[in-house]
Amino acid sequence: MSYKRNVVSILVLLVVAAVSTSLAGEKNAPPSQKIPKGAKVFVAPIEGGYDTYLKDAIAKKKVPVEIVANRDQADYEITGTSESQKASTAKKVILGNWHSREEASITLSNIKSAEVVWAYSVHQEASTHGKKSSAESCAKHLKEAIENQ
Amino acid sequence: MRSRKLLMSPVRTALILYLAIYSLPARSSTSQETNSTQNQNKEEQNKAADSGKPGSSDQAKKADLKSAPTDEGQLATINDAKIPSYSKVYVAPIAGGFENYIIAGLRNKKVSLTVVTDRSKADYEISGVSDSEKAGWAKMLFIGSQNSNEQASIKISDLKTGAVIFGYSVHKTNSLRGRQSAGEACAKHIKQIVIE
Repeated sequence: MSYKRNVVSILVLLVVAAVSTSLAGEKNAPPSQKIPKGAKVFVAPIEGGYDTYLKDAIAKKKVPVEIVANRDQADYEITGTSESQKASTAKKVILGNWHSREEASITLSNIKSAEVVWAYSVHQEASTHGKKSSAESCAKHLKEAIENQ
Repeated sequence: MRSRKLLMSPVRTALILYLAIYSLPARSSTSQETNSTQNQNKEEQNKAADSGKPGSSDQAKKADLKSAPTDEGQLATINDAKIPSYSKVYVAPIAGGFENYIIAGLRNKKVSLTVVTDRSKADYEISGVSDSEKAGWAKMLFIGSQNSNEQASIKISDLKTGAVIFGYSVHKTNSLRGRQSAGEACAKHIKQIVIE
């Protein structure tokens, strides 16, 4: 009887150890950072209406994702920040440069797992087409990330 | 009367030029002071976080905190703290959306951490402050530079224990890529404490 009890207790301990090891392994496992083609993406509002430029750029660069207007329907979400600075008089007079300074940074996160799967930041000191240029840069790199995975 | 006017105009021009030149180093020294104050605050926070451990004396606390100047900023780690690879990290919102630049920097520098947008799912939290100063007309005129000055300070805290395990501050004069550069500098130094 005691022999059986010992065997059962050892088995239980082994199972617990195996489960805990597998859980520990899962915890620090590298995330599957693959963005499937045709994934439904929601672009969250970004200051200065940058999200609009981003949507246009995604369409123009033919990024293989589907933009949805409702967050509930989406698998992924794009959030970010952008800053645009028009050329000052000093920049125009002293440096002879009329172009604006553009900065933007976006992140693509999986809504279900809350993991950030892709991120990109762009800085253009003299952007020829302003926000449009930086948004197209973001879209171009997103396309590359999806196609080259 | 006319001769006085003629005399006054070069004096006025010289005064304006002097003020413009004087303002540049004065501004940079102020930013350095702020940076060192932030470092002091960070060290104080680190010490405060460490004081929760039982039986630790003041001298031991000082020994725990390792501070080292780097090429761009100041790095501080406690007890040679390391973060296991692919740990879940939450980047708290920072003024001006700087958290996005840190996340992009982490990806660009291939730091093996998993960034999550939900704080409850994270093991560690990155928080901080950042400041950006655009080039003024004087800088463009006298230095011929249109690059901004960037400064940021971040800390990583363990969400389970609440202890601050890492701190880093960066100051970049004439940052070629603005906040992107500062974000990448932070990411580069975070990589140093991540176990590959």
